[in-house]
Amino acid sequence: MKGRVWKFGDDIDTDQIYPGKYLPLTDKKEMARHAMEGTDRGEEFIKGVKDGDIIVAGKNFGCGSSREHAPVAIRGIGISVVIAESFARIFHRNCVNTGLPILILQETQHLNDGDILEIDVTSGKIMNQTQNKVLKATTLSQLEFQIMRAGGLLAYLRHQNKATKEGL
Amino acid sequence: MTIIEKIFSTASGNEVNPGDYIWADLNLVAMRDFGGPNVIQEYENSYGTQPVFDPTRVAITFDLHIPARNEKVAVNQKTLRDFAKRQGVRLFDIDTGVGQHILIENGLVKPGEIIVGTDSHMNLLGAMGAAGFGMGTTDIAGAMYKGKLWFRVPETIKIEISGRLKEYVGAKDLILYIVKQLTTSGALNKAIEFSGETISAMNMAERITMASMVTEMSGDVGFILPDERVVDFIRSRSGEKIEPVYPDADSAYDKVYEYAVDDLDPQIACPHSPDNVKDVRDVAGTRVDQVFIGSCTNGRYEDLEIAAHFLKNRKIKNGLRLIVVPATMEVAKATLRSGLHEIFLASGAVVTNPGCALCTTGHPGILAPDEVMVSTSNRNFVGKLGKGAKVYLASPATAAATALTGEITDPRSV
Ligand code: SF4
Repeated sequence: MKGRVWKFGDDIDTDQIYPGKYLPLTDKKEMARHAMEGTDRGEEFIKGVKDGDIIVAGKNFGCGSSREHAPVAIRGIGISVVIAESFARIFHRNCVNTGLPILILQETQHLNDGDILEIDVTSGKIMNQTQNKVLKATTLSQLEFQIMRAGGLLAYLRHQNKATKEGL
Repeated sequence: MTIIEKIFSTASGNEVNPGDYIWADLNLVAMRDFGGPNVIQEYENSYGTQPVFDPTRVAITFDLHIPARNEKVAVNQKTLRDFAKRQGVRLFDIDTGVGQHILIENGLVKPGEIIVGTDSHMNLLGAMGAAGFGMGTTDIAGAMYKGKLWFRVPETIKIEISGRLKEYVGAKDLILYIVKQLTTSGALNKAIEFSGETISAMNMAERITMASMVTEMSGDVGFILPDERVVDFIRSRSGEKIEPVYPDADSAYDKVYEYAVDDLDPQIACPHSPDNVKDVRDVAGTRVDQVFIGSCTNGRYEDLEIAAHFLKNRKIKNGLRLIVVPATMEVAKATLRSGLHEIFLASGAVVTNPGCALCTTGHPGILAPDEVMVSTSNRNFVGKLGKGAKVYLASPATAAATALTGEITDPRSV
């Protein structure tokens, strides 16, 4: 996947990612229109973001409440992958369970806002085309990839039950 | 092996190491009146009317909007009641209290078990030696269907406490002090084991206070090794044999922190972060509009007893509001029998029905902009209890002393 970097700081909580006032929304397209709206560059992001773009953030991305609207909205608005120095536990789980790819990278200082990256989420290779540099991120585990490939946790478990019933 | 490594080894059927990704069997899946309806929607979207993995291992608790305060909440609660009936799972209705406490009081939490739920503070079950995890709605829907979930085995941090706390310095002061040391991200993706003589001496209420605030350090889960008293309690409530899980003497810890607490003074977390902790005396004199004593962190009988000690035969400051909320109906009944309830009312406090109360918005008692509240709860983020309001987190003793004077007060000075 290839896209442009949108940079954010440390401790971006789920209320910045998806403000609480939109919690009643259930339509995914409508939800997507508010992704990152509570951050200090929310308006600019929503106007400018293109399909395939990439969020790069600092520590503890997705902390705060456990709302799953957060990863769903980020994915809905077209973000292909979120790279951060660390993720809050529940947000990390929600990404895997709902199918938003994430990568963990300590050296996010080497990625600038607006850089064009080409990313292989399975190997963790990040090719920074703007700076002509390659970085290596920590990828999700095998088990997490399996869940994502199945279409999320609920689909994964459904397949698994079927498989057991059919004696596979 | 540490406690979580042992628990995950048993629940996954394989010996595990920190950093491993595993599937683990769950002992109990819980949801509540907030979040629960979304879980059911997701469950039924994916699995229709298929039965849950084991109806005796699913519990629904009502603790947030009780009784229902508007039509939407009423519809949500009805959704949960109907689901409980259809699926034959247990439901604790509006006459019960804070979910995790209800699970404990009903003998549904045993040492070494894995329990998941929709509240962010499920890890307070670590006070009983159980692994409690707060999770999102998809996780809980999947858990209810399959009775198992995926986990990353966390590394464990050991926090060893020695020394005797001074008079009117309690578990809340200690855990606030620890949150200050580790910060709000200090235990990210880690388990915590609390140990040492100070912890061993703690009663169940104090242990719950300690374990509940593991969330504020971003910990996955936190444990206090069950002692005889805790084991006896669980045995009497569950009617089952209890076999606590203890860490091996040669466990490998990610980090070990040691604190001596003989000199610790009352602590308070200032706006707007649980790790913005100071000595109470450093902010003493700050004017306060409202005091809240309760929540899953400080709503047990012992917590209310300390508050009553200060409020007995006294009146709260004119113009200040004091709201007291027992964690559960069992606690509420005990305060009625022992006379605490009477003390609160006589002091000028408002006592409301058991539940989560002023831990979050949505409960009566919200603040106006610029108002200041001292709360015994666990979080004080911006906007958590009203736009522009300021929340300080403190112990029941500090909260009660503050209610008497109308300004932040060291409990030893009244
Ligand atoms: S008091 Fe607050 S943190 Fe505790 S269980 Fe209730 S809502 Fe959760």
